[in-house]
Amino acid sequence: MMRAARTLLGLSLALLAGSCNDGFGYIELKTVPASARNAALYIDDQRLDTPSDGVAVLRQPAGTRKLQSTPAGSTLCDIVVRKDRITTVTVSVLERPPRCQCARPKSGDPQGRRICLG
Amino acid sequence: MTIVSGSGVKRLLPAVLGLMLAIAAASFIALADAKAQPASQPDASSGSGATLADDEFSRQLNDLKRSFGEVGKQIESGTQAIDKLKSPEEGRKGIVELRQQVSKLLGTVADNGEVARLGRMALDRADQKLKSLAEDTRFRPEEREYLVQRWRDLRASTASAIKELDVARRDFAELLRTLQTSEDYIDELLQIREHEKALDVIHNLTSGIRDASDKLKRLLGGLRPPTA
Repeated sequence: MMRAARTLLGLSLALLAGSCNDGFGYIELKTVPASARNAALYIDDQRLDTPSDGVAVLRQPAGTRKLQSTPAGSTLCDIVVRKDRITTVTVSVLERPPRCQCARPKSGDPQGRRICLG
Repeated sequence: MTIVSGSGVKRLLPAVLGLMLAIAAASFIALADAKAQPASQPDASSGSGATLADDEFSRQLNDLKRSFGEVGKQIESGTQAIDKLKSPEEGRKGIVELRQQVSKLLGTVADNGEVARLGRMALDRADQKLKSLAEDTRFRPEEREYLVQRWRDLRASTASAIKELDVARRDFAELLRTLQTSEDYIDELLQIREHEKALDVIHNLTSGIRDASDKLKRLLGGLRPPTA
C-alpha cells in the first residue's frame, strides 16, 4: 500500500515537472506573396489574422501544431514548437491548396507528412 | 457705490465684451480638450471597453520598457560571462540561458500577445472615431476640426508605437534564431569533437548578441506610449 502511494506520488511529481518544463515557443509564419492579405490560415482550428507585412510571430505552447487552410480541414503541415525556440514556416498562399516550406524540415516521415522543426 | 455715467458705459463696453469672448473661448477649449481625452472620457459610440484598451496599451508599453531594461542588463552580463568561458560545454549552457531571456522578450511583443492586441484595438478605436466625427453634425466646423486633429495625432502616435513593436519583434525573432542555430551548430561540432571550433563559434556569437543589445537600447529610447 505504502509502495503504491509512493509510486503514485513519484509519478505525479514527474508529471508536474514535465508539464512545468514544457513551456512556450514560437512559430514564425511567413506568407508569400506578402501582399496576400485575405488568405485564411488556421493553427489547430484557430484562425490567424493575416499579418500586414507577411510575417507573424506567434507564441505557442510547446508541442505539435497543425497548420490548416480551413478549420478542421486537411493539414498543410505539422509544426513542432519547442520551448524557447522558434520554428519558421513559409506558406505559399497562391497555390491550391497552400503549400508549407519548412526552414528545418523533418526528413523521412513514414506517413509522408510535411513536418517543420524548430 | 460707484455710478457709471453714459460715456463710462461706452468706455467699459469693449472691455466687457472682450472678457466675455475670452471666457467663451476658454470654455470651448476646455470642452474640446475634455472630449479629446480618450483616457478619461467614456465613449458612447464605441464603448468604455475601447477606452480602457487605449489606457491599457499605454500602461503595457511602459511595463514593456521596464522589463526590456531589466532583461537587457541580464543579456549583457550573460554575454560578458560567455566571452570569458574556456569550455564549449559551459558556453553552450550560457547560450541556453540567453535563449530563455530572449524568448521572454519575444513573448511580450508576439503578434498573438496582449500588447499587440491592445495596440490593434487602440488603432481601430482611433479610426472609428475619425470616421464618426466626419459624419457628426453636432459641432461647429472649427470644433470638429480640432477634435479630428487630436484624434489624428493620437492615431499617429499609436501607429508609431506599433511600428516600434514590429521592429522589436523582428529583431528578437532574429536573435532567437541566431542563438538556437549557433547552439545546434555547437552541438554538431561537439559530436565530432571539434572543441576549438565550437569555442570560436561561441566567441563570435557574442558580438552578434551585443549588436542586438544595442538595438534593444535604441528601442528603449524610441518606444513611446501614444499621446494626442
